Amino acid sequence: MATGLRLSSELVAGVLGGAALGWGFDRLLSTSPWGLIVFLLLGFAAGVINVMRTAGVMAKQNERL
Amino acid sequence: MAADPIQQFALKKIFTIGQIGGQEIAITNSSAYMFLSVAVISLLMLGTGRQLIPGRMQSVAELSYEFVASTIRSTAGAEGMKFFPLVFSLFMFICISNVIGVIPYTFTVSSHLIVTFGLALLVFCIVLIYGFYKNGLKFFKLFVPSGVPLYILPLVVVVEVISFFLKPVSHSVRLFANMLAGHIALKVFASFVGMLGAIGFVGWVGAILPLGLTVALTALELLVAFLQAYVFTILTCIYLNDAIHPGH
Repeated sequence: MATGLRLSSELVAGVLGGAALGWGFDRLLSTSPWGLIVFLLLGFAAGVINVMRTAGVMAKQNERL
Repeated sequence: MAADPIQQFALKKIFTIGQIGGQEIAITNSSAYMFLSVAVISLLMLGTGRQLIPGRMQSVAELSYEFVASTIRSTAGAEGMKFFPLVFSLFMFICISNVIGVIPYTFTVSSHLIVTFGLALLVFCIVLIYGFYKNGLKFFKLFVPSGVPLYILPLVVVVEVISFFLKPVSHSVRLFANMLAGHIALKVFASFVGMLGAIGFVGWVGAILPLGLTVALTALELLVAFLQAYVFTILTCIYLNDAIHPGH
């Protein structure tokens, strides 16, 4: 259950973080709704990548150093 | 009798200290419980004596030290012990404030996203600064995967940067969501007891079931309070390990 919760929270954080970033971007530059759309999708992609990293399917970022 | 399950998370002002930039700075019930947790931790760590044969409370203090130290050694290696004060403070603060929050009529500090996000951001900033200090500008290689064709590289780099900055978000949301959901579930089941009890004798018999569930959920919450503090600590250790030993 702990792994499941961890994976799901990674995905939720990805979408939420992307939405927050896009919303802030729109607020600052008044580009609504394009920032929200673009960053929500990017956040979703980043969340999926984080889920795969947590599951050990994909190489971790710090292995590139 | 139907109590609002969200009401327990309301911030109440106790007294105002002053104003900074038109924003009121006040001691709320949240900050009061933070002070209370720090006081309990200080009492546990400082006030329990230094006997050769430890008493009960001294054993608790020593056990918590050993527990956090072995967690750091096993996840971040012996070099991770540099960060022991940070990790130990985080673990004790989250664990004690969560356990205080299980007591009825108290306030749970970590049920507010801003508190857990502040803690996660502290860890994130330390990892970021230490990573730069250790690796210099090579640190930016984190964001550039090798072997990606040039036309798709900008998109990949943007996604990589976002996924890097999402670390503190997922780190904080996990603790916050667990504490919030657990306390709401507890409150909902507890309010069923009051609602059924208001019906009459049939309600009293029916109220046994939610009452039993409330007792069971309280036990579960005690486990979750400790477990989430441990999860937060172990993830802190993993992030620190990434900064201390890159390329492993």
